[in-house]
Parts: sequence; structure tokens; C-alpha cells
Amino acid sequence: MIDRFASGFDPFVIPFLIGMAFVLVYCIIGAIRLILQLDAEDKKRFFISLITPKTIWKNLKDLFLNCLIHVKLWKRNRMLGFMHSSIAFGWFMLILLGHIECFIYMPHRVKLFYYPIFFNYFVAENETTIGGSVIFFLMDFFLLLVLTGIVLAIIKRVRSRIFGMRRTTKPSLLDRVGLYSLWLIFPLRLIAESFTAHISGGSFLTIPMNMMFKAFLGDQMNMLPTWWAYSICLCIFMCVLPFTRYMHIPAEMLLIPFRNAGLTIKHARRGFAKAQVYSCPNCGVCIDACPMSVKKANIKDTTVYLNRNIRRGNEKRIEEISDKCLLCGKCTAVCQVGVDGPQMRIAQRSIRNYGLEQDYSGIDITPFKEAVAAEASPDRVLYFAGCMTALTPAISRAMESVFRKAGVDYAFMDKDGGLCCGRPILMAGRFGQARQIIRKNKEIIKASGASTLVLSCPICYKVFREHYKLEGIRVVHHTEYMLELVKAGRLSPDAGSDVLVYHDPCELGRGSGIYEQPRELLRHTGELVEAEQNRDMSICCGGSLGSLTLGFDKREDLTRNALRNLKAGNPETIVTACPLCKTTFAMYSDIPVEDIAETVNKHLK
Amino acid sequence: MKDNIVIVGGGIAGMEAARQLLLLGYKPILVEKSDHLGGHVADWHCLFPDMTPAQDVVKGLVEQIKDANIFLETEVSFINRMKMGYNVMFSNGVNVICKAILLATGFDLFEASRKEEYGYGIYDQVMTNRDLERWFNTGDDKRITGKDIKKIGFVHCVGSRDVKAGNQQCSKVCCITAIKQAMEMKERFPDAEVYCFYMDLRLFGKKYEDFYIKAQMESGVHFIRGRVSEVSENMQGQVIIKTEDTLSGKPAKITLDLLVLMAGIVCNKQAVQTASMVQVQTDSDGFLKSKDNILNIIETGSKGVFLAGTATGAKTIPETAAEARAAALAIHNYLVAQS
Repeated sequence: MIDRFASGFDPFVIPFLIGMAFVLVYCIIGAIRLILQLDAEDKKRFFISLITPKTIWKNLKDLFLNCLIHVKLWKRNRMLGFMHSSIAFGWFMLILLGHIECFIYMPHRVKLFYYPIFFNYFVAENETTIGGSVIFFLMDFFLLLVLTGIVLAIIKRVRSRIFGMRRTTKPSLLDRVGLYSLWLIFPLRLIAESFTAHISGGSFLTIPMNMMFKAFLGDQMNMLPTWWAYSICLCIFMCVLPFTRYMHIPAEMLLIPFRNAGLTIKHARRGFAKAQVYSCPNCGVCIDACPMSVKKANIKDTTVYLNRNIRRGNEKRIEEISDKCLLCGKCTAVCQVGVDGPQMRIAQRSIRNYGLEQDYSGIDITPFKEAVAAEASPDRVLYFAGCMTALTPAISRAMESVFRKAGVDYAFMDKDGGLCCGRPILMAGRFGQARQIIRKNKEIIKASGASTLVLSCPICYKVFREHYKLEGIRVVHHTEYMLELVKAGRLSPDAGSDVLVYHDPCELGRGSGIYEQPRELLRHTGELVEAEQNRDMSICCGGSLGSLTLGFDKREDLTRNALRNLKAGNPETIVTACPLCKTTFAMYSDIPVEDIAETVNKHLK
Repeated sequence: MKDNIVIVGGGIAGMEAARQLLLLGYKPILVEKSDHLGGHVADWHCLFPDMTPAQDVVKGLVEQIKDANIFLETEVSFINRMKMGYNVMFSNGVNVICKAILLATGFDLFEASRKEEYGYGIYDQVMTNRDLERWFNTGDDKRITGKDIKKIGFVHCVGSRDVKAGNQQCSKVCCITAIKQAMEMKERFPDAEVYCFYMDLRLFGKKYEDFYIKAQMESGVHFIRGRVSEVSENMQGQVIIKTEDTLSGKPAKITLDLLVLMAGIVCNKQAVQTASMVQVQTDSDGFLKSKDNILNIIETGSKGVFLAGTATGAKTIPETAAEARAAALAIHNYLVAQS
């Protein structure tokens, strides 16, 4: 390969350089700002993770698998996966191979930033380049791959249903500019490289096109304008990128190391949260997933619109969207980049100024402590039913019966009233008050001498597990506990012939990762069928305490939709493991709804 | 007269309408799904405000409609619309061609077990207003018979004015029923403390206010303004209720020997089905939809189909009877206009 031009420069590279410089400066400054916004502890954690071999490896792996190959998308829909990975991975390989080419043939030009990008314009093929045909082939191959992806992307714009998406977001004006320039980049590159293929060399795609152009046009003058057009398109794309959904491309490269460093959202609009906002590709997968979006309602209150409004700084909408959410976490379960919708909203709720700050520190817990006080014992179990179970006494009665039948030495912590677990107030973003309640409950639990804390309500379970730090005390949900008792031979439910479906409560399934235990337990008591969407795709019952503003009348459609989903396998009974789900479903269900504790207890002698 | 009229439902509304239609010279066909006439009132003991025995009211009406065609334990299987009226098929195999249908389908009592927090069907000492009337009638209920009843509580608005129970409507008659039952219990258990837990007391009817005053002044019933939040049970089988006395602003916890739930009035589910056969929809309150809710509550959007009684919402017996008479007249006018 030899230089075609001694200067190694042509003015058409200027638009590309402007775009590149802009986007690089913007992203670097942005990244530094987000890192600086982290609090001291998170900053330390982040920097340590950057030098820890384990996290470095994980970062590289995640970057490759998520940003280039889009593994998660492949799992969701193969067409969608192929479209994204062909564009991302193909483009990445084009850039990489361009640099390799440059390194091999033109090492003295490597320092020129634009050279590998426009390589084919600046070089001419000579006899010594024959060995390069492999690289030429690969360049054409990956260009073809990207072009296939672009064709799919155009088809998706017209018919998104082929890609398994029912509803998606409407792109903004700048999004469209970015989108069309992105679509144009690669066809232009193909044409530009085809025009120069007889000089710089090419492969199966560019050589035939070169011959075709020569036959039809026979004019060398088209060469330079297409390279200009290619460069301008790159410039446009890079200049609008920070203001469009395509910001997710660079942002995710920061989000992945942040997440792997173990950061949590501390502030709704800074640091980690902001990285999530920018990483949102506006794909709208969360719209179909959101339980509130049934019957086309509340579409604009989904996580994608929260991100969009945070980027636009629309405070009124941010507040509305944050308050309305049920915090069921399904948007996070389906999100390709892992935006934590519920945590973002809780964080947003926490920065609000409330007019009234309640004080729970004065509550006298002496009677509660006295009621459960006992010597510490490894066999002693403390049962906390929670407020929701107090409203569904059939569950706590069933649990007490199970304890008796298994011969468990237990104390009922809130039989005669008790304190809230703190989770609802935590969900409202009032962390200070939650801490007061948690401290009180901890004192009661410590006084009980129990070594195991059994909970009936998944809402309580999640907060006890994550925020209580009860050293030496095991926290279990009654589904886990009853299964343990069955496995230990202390309970032997007789098998029945009922056809049951199990509903995964949000806080127990997606919230705490308990999917298998309840199913295993139910298989002891009857025949288990599955809902259409289950486990981490389970649909919120609609009763969630997470929403601060969604009215009761607005929830009926949600509940009916969730019930329809549960009845896919024609069950005779719906079994759940959450008192709130039970109450909510019971209101509209035409088949019986019961808690797993009731089901198990029915099958015990 | 040869015009057939079908009355669906043999409660107060159905019977009173049948009585009036007989007086007007028609021979209506009355179908009742249960094995006796009288509807919910037949299960009741005494009626406010004069403590009239419910049986007297029902028997009086039954006596006066002997000449009507009455099918007991019969339901409407289907109704076909025809050019000049309706073809009604009953579950006993009888097929009738009629010119007018009166839906006097009444109400369902709210299933108290759906308010699980009140423990009906879970705790031993919890009953409903209907259970209590049954005990007044039969004297047999294991919750009361042979028990030492010292404290009794009445919970108002169970399944009424409760969006979470799926019924936002006021059931109208439970306030006065609770007061009536509280006083009756006080008579039977003079030493017992009787509490009524209410949100509002809606005492709109004739002499209701007198009842209320009497309950406080003479019977000594305690009225506590506050909704019962939850109910639990102690080792002795007593129920413990938690509420807030919203007048003093203090939470209260009371141990009771008997808890009576004032189950409310909700639309009869079966009636909705029957009504849909003649294209009568439900209104936004869940009850059957009248043509107009001010001056034309009797007529429906479907020609020749009329409504009476609690099918369109909670009502007292006098109101139901008045409406039934109005319906009979409306049917008569309709048939006259037809011929």
C-alpha cells in the first residue's frame, strides 16, 4: 500500500473531526461530572473497582456482551438481538479492522486520527498488498453485516410487532435527525469505498459495485462528493448524539463499571442515577411490561418517560411519574441496560420537602418487648405477621396452626399489635422515619431471644432482609420456612388433586429472588400449573403500596389483567404468598384465592 | 284481560306489583328462584320503625296475590325479543309470550367474608345482621346460645361506602337496622354493653331519629364514630377490635363477646344476567339502569321492561312498595297505549 497523497489530508475529513472532537469532549466532561457527583464512599468504591482484576475482567466481559453483542436482547427477541448486535458489533469491527489495516500498511499515519476511518480514500493498492485480501474481505463482510442491521432497523420503524414490541416511544425531532444520519452513514460508506475500490482495493462487495459504477457513470468526479457526504453524516450523527437516545451508547460504557463497582442510587438526579438516565435507549420495552399500561393507560408514566423527563428537566412530570409507580420492578426486569425504575423513583421521592416530618422515636415499645421476651435459644422462632396480615387473619391463623403442627417454639411478635416494618415509608422516600421504626423493631426482635424470624408478608421480608442487619438472626419468608419444615420431615402435607397456580408477588419474586421454594412447596399439596407470564415476568396484582397517587378505581383493570394472566392454565385456585396480593385478587377473582400458608395448612393433619 | 305480564322476583317489590296488577284486572306471572315468597324480608324478624313482625308483612302480601300465577324455585332461562313483546322461557319448562316484564330482582347481601379483616368465617364470635335476625327468629345460633354475652359490637357500613370492597354506595337501611338490632340485643341482654361503630349515621326516614335518641337515652347503646380497622381473637375466643374514636381522636381497642357486621346491599349478580337478556345495562353504581334517575326510575331503555325495588339501588320497604305500585301503573298505561 502506498500513499495517494503526500499530505495524507483532504478537507472532507474536517466535518468528521469536528463531530468526533465534540462528542469526545462532551462525553469525557460528562463522565467526569458524574464521577465527581458520587459521594466519597462510592467514589472510593468505584476507583478501587477500576484496579481490581476481578471487576476489570467483569467490566470487559459486560461491555463486550452487553454493548457489542447485546446478549440480553437476543434472549428477548432474536430479530431485535441480531439487529442491534449486527450494527454495534459490525461497526466496532470496522473501526478495529480499519486501525489494524492502518497499523500494518501505513504505520507512519497511525497518529492521524481520521486516517483509519477514511483509509480507502488515502491509499492505493500495489503488488505487496495481496496478503491484505483477508482484511479487505473482512471489511466488506462487516460492512454487509451493519447494512443488514440497518435494513432491519428500517423495517422495525415500520412494523415493530415483528420484533416483539407492541408499543414503543415516539422519537423526538433530534432523535430522528440522529436516526436518519445513522441509517445513512453505512450506505454512504459503501458507495464511497466502492468508488475508490479500483485504487485502494476492495472485496466481494465493493469491487463489483466499483465495476457497476464505472459501467453506468464512468465518471471519477463522484468519488470526492460521496466521501464528503460520508464524513458529513458522521459529523451530524456525532454532533446530535448527546441530545438524543443514542447517548445510551457512550453512557452505558460508564454505567457498567459503575454497576460492577456495587454502587447504589443515592441521589435521584446525580451520579449513578444520572448514568442510568443517559443509558436509557428509549426503546420502550418497559411500556409493554408496565402493569399500569394495560388498556393503553398510564403509558407516559413508565420508566422510559421518567428518564426522558429527567433529561428534559420537566420537574412537574418527574414528580408525577415518580409518585404514580407501583414499584413492582418489572421494567427493571425487562430493561436491556438495567435502569432501576423503582429505586430511581424512591430516590426522587426522598429529595422532596414534606411539610410535616413525623417523629416515631417516642413510641413506647416496652409492652411489645415484654410480650415476646425470652432466653436466647437456637430453636426459638419469632413470627412477624405485619400490618397486611393483620387485615387477612386467615393467613396468620394458618401460620400459627402450621407452627403448632410442626412443634415449633414460636412467639407471635405482633399478635397484639405492633409496629410497621418500615417498608411503606421507605417506599415513600422518607428514610429518616423508616430508620426510627427499624430501630424500634430491632429492639423488640433482639429481646425475643429468637434465632429465626419468620415473615408472612413479602413487603416486610424485603425490608427485614435488606435494612435490618439482624446479626445472628435468620430472616425467612414463610414459604421458605415451611419448605424447610417439610424437608426436615416436621411437616408432611398430604397430596391433593387441586389444580393450583402460583402468583409471584413482586417483593418476593423480583424483589427478593424467591421463585422456586413456593413452587416446590405447592407440588407437595396439589398439581401446579403456570401463569402465562410468571417468575420475574409476573404481573403486579395492582394492590401495591408503592404508588402514592394511583387511585383505587384506576387499579381494577390492572388486577383483572393480572388475573387473566394467572388463569391461562385453567387453575381451580390461585395461591399467592403475599397478604396484599391475596386481598387484591380476592376482590375480582371468580375462583378462590388463598395464601400458601392456608394451602399448606389445609393439607396437614 | 289477556295481556301477559311477567314479574321476575317474589320479594316485596314483586309481590306488591303483582297485587296492584291483580287489582287492575291483570293476571301476572310471578317467578321466584327460592322456595318461598318474601325475599330478604322473609328472613327478618321485626321491622323498624314500629317493630312490625316481618312475617305479618310478608304473609299479608302473599294472601293478596293468591290469584296470580306463581312459580316458585323457578328462574328465567332466556328471553327472546319479539315484534310485539317478549318470549320468556322459565327453568321449569314453561314458555310465556308476554307484553311486559317487571324486573323486581332485588339485591344481594354483601358477602361479609370478603372483608377478611373483620374475620367473618374465621373467628367464632363474628356474625352478620342476617345471622342475628335468624337468631331472633329461631333462637338457635351457637355464637349466642349458651354463651355469656357481656359486650356486643355492631360494625356499620360493611361492604357499603367502601371503595376497597367494590361498593361505594350507601346501603341506606343498615344504620337504622343496626340501631334496631342494638336495642333488641340490649332488651335480651340487659347487662351487656352494646357499641355501634359508625362513619356517619344516616337517619333520614320516618321516626328514625326517634329511634336513635331512644337507643342512646333509654337503651344506653354506645355510639363510637370510627371505622373498625381490624379484628383479632384472644385465647378465650373473644374478639378484639381496633378502631379510632374520631370524636376524641384516640385509638381504641375493645374486647367483645359478639361482633355483628352490618353487611350492605349490593346488586344481585343474577339479576344483571337476566337484565342483559333484555338489553338492560347496569348503571355506574352497579345497580340496574333506569331510563332516567329522577322522574323515570321505573322504565328502562328497553320497551316493555320495567324495574321496581332494590334492583335499582338500596331502598326501604315503604319505598320499595311505593315503587312497585308505580311500576304496576306504568305497566298498565303501557299496555293500554299498546292496544
